[in-house]
Amino acid sequence: MPGKKIKRDREEAVIFDYNQEALKNLQIEDTSILDRLVDYRQAREERQRKEHYQRDKRMSLKEAVAELVHDGDIWCDGAFGYVKTGLQGYWEILRQGKKNLQAIGSPNTNMSYGIPFGNVKYCHSSYTGAEMRGIDKSFSRNIKSGKVKILSDWSHGLMALGFKAAQLGMPGCFSKQGLGSDMVRFNPYLKVMQNPMSKEDDPVVFVPALCPDVIIIHVNAADKYGNCRFYGPAVNDIAVAAASRRVIITCEEIVSNYDIRYHAKGAQIPFNNIDAVVELPFGAVPGYMPGEYYWMRYFWEKLFLMTQDDETYKAYIKEWILDTKDVNDVIEKAGGIEWIKKSRRRARAAEGNIDPEGVSFVYRLWEKGMDTKDID
Amino acid sequence: MSSDKPMNPLEMLAYIIAKQIEDHEVVYIGTGIPMVAAILAKKTHAPNITFVYESGGQDPEHLEMPWSVGGPMTWRKSPIIMEMAYSFAQAATGLIDKGFLGFAQIDMFGNANTHQIGTDYLNPKVRLTGSGGNNDVSSLVDKLIYVGLQDPNKFLKKVDFITSPGWLEGGESRKKAGLLNDGPVAVITSAGVYDFEPSTKRMRIKTLHPGVSPELAQLASGFELVRPEGEIPVTERPSKEILEILRNEVDPNGLFISMPS
Repeated sequence: MPGKKIKRDREEAVIFDYNQEALKNLQIEDTSILDRLVDYRQAREERQRKEHYQRDKRMSLKEAVAELVHDGDIWCDGAFGYVKTGLQGYWEILRQGKKNLQAIGSPNTNMSYGIPFGNVKYCHSSYTGAEMRGIDKSFSRNIKSGKVKILSDWSHGLMALGFKAAQLGMPGCFSKQGLGSDMVRFNPYLKVMQNPMSKEDDPVVFVPALCPDVIIIHVNAADKYGNCRFYGPAVNDIAVAAASRRVIITCEEIVSNYDIRYHAKGAQIPFNNIDAVVELPFGAVPGYMPGEYYWMRYFWEKLFLMTQDDETYKAYIKEWILDTKDVNDVIEKAGGIEWIKKSRRRARAAEGNIDPEGVSFVYRLWEKGMDTKDID
Repeated sequence: MSSDKPMNPLEMLAYIIAKQIEDHEVVYIGTGIPMVAAILAKKTHAPNITFVYESGGQDPEHLEMPWSVGGPMTWRKSPIIMEMAYSFAQAATGLIDKGFLGFAQIDMFGNANTHQIGTDYLNPKVRLTGSGGNNDVSSLVDKLIYVGLQDPNKFLKKVDFITSPGWLEGGESRKKAGLLNDGPVAVITSAGVYDFEPSTKRMRIKTLHPGVSPELAQLASGFELVRPEGEIPVTERPSKEILEILRNEVDPNGLFISMPS
């Protein structure tokens, strides 16, 4: 970042007053590891130090990850698991061997990749699993073995409120969810308290603003300044783009500023949240990208079975992530142009833009010996 | 698939849940059987219901069963797709009528667990998914209904972790905790339909499925089920026509209503 001079509002680090019961239950003695996520003033200073004008932020994925993702960062998940998540950016984080990351997000797909590989040492947990395909067995194993430590436990809604508060510049907000649950006993950031506005008994949960260090967000189109347009669910992407200290945009296409201006959607994420714009077609692969392509069914169906034990899982991930150099290699592995054609058709039919006739949504579970051709 | 094939427990579940949905309701839908049930309700007795999904999709045009609550089938031609915080906020602000949730464990007061098996958080027997949107839905929607298979390992006196608050310790405890709405109104399982006794808030048998005696239901529970006064009604089975719609139109690939082999 260019060295802009800013006036610090304080010289000393803030001392935070965490939920003591949760610290005890989670056996966290040195609380400094918790601080950066809720240090909204320090996050603000980092943003103040940046150049704010509309400048050209284009770079390659390799450069963006090397420059903007640091060892020890609080790394936030984008979008929704295997829908619209910038997984190719995540794979580059693993390829570059970034270390000691703290994972956060609703859901937590970054954990499913980062924990078995040892890149993610800590997590702020909300949901790890594959919905109807069941729990993430490697997550369970790694919690038990101590390979990863949970620093705070969340519901999707509570975490979403923390990001929302940060986006809106609020130090925190109050919620009515979380009350009576055990999560408030295992989350140092949440506090049950009396609504200060009410003279009657009105318990609320205080949710602090959550400021991750870095997030990769995948969108359909962005201009070179970082104005973003996307289809499908935003989930927390709009909020986290404003809440995070650093934001990398990967996009299917870099478009002109005019294209953003004259499109009915306009920009959903503004340029000033963004640090890097990477043109990365198929950047959500092997996931689903709204308006573009269907998820790689072979990859996922096999993956679900590979999580049975750590060694098989690591070998599988190595084959797909470490032994490929970029997204082009990944698509070649999945069937190349034939996969692209089928996948695009299937997504267009799923979204109601072409006639679904002749397009198959049937699921086949991976069995030993199956090839990419057997499950497209 | 033909409707002559005998009905399996998942199909029965889907039917009973569908029956809980009234026309014109706005319903918060999670992954799995509740999705099947809500689509069945929409295709039969409740054509004017509105679906809400936690990833932000609302009121999609139905094509296929969604494979994820974020997948395209949850926002196919949706008039609006909301941010996650806004989606849950609709329940907090009083705009959602019913919510449906699964559970790994549930206790006599309708508190549910999707966090872990075993009480040691730092070293559980198995770590499950965590809350996802379960806590939000159970805390905020007007009427909550739980859905799942019943056995003594799932129906426990006390759950290993409260992910989703039910009636907490019974009596007035939920109200005292400050939660907005009443606790769960029903629990639907492979054995029967349960509600909660109004003063103690303990789980009570409402109806039992064909062939399930109160003794059998009790055997499949780790706590004492409250029996209602008088005879226990038998849960109504789906008609042949309904089964046909379920098998041919709602989930033709049997993604959710085929029993795991």
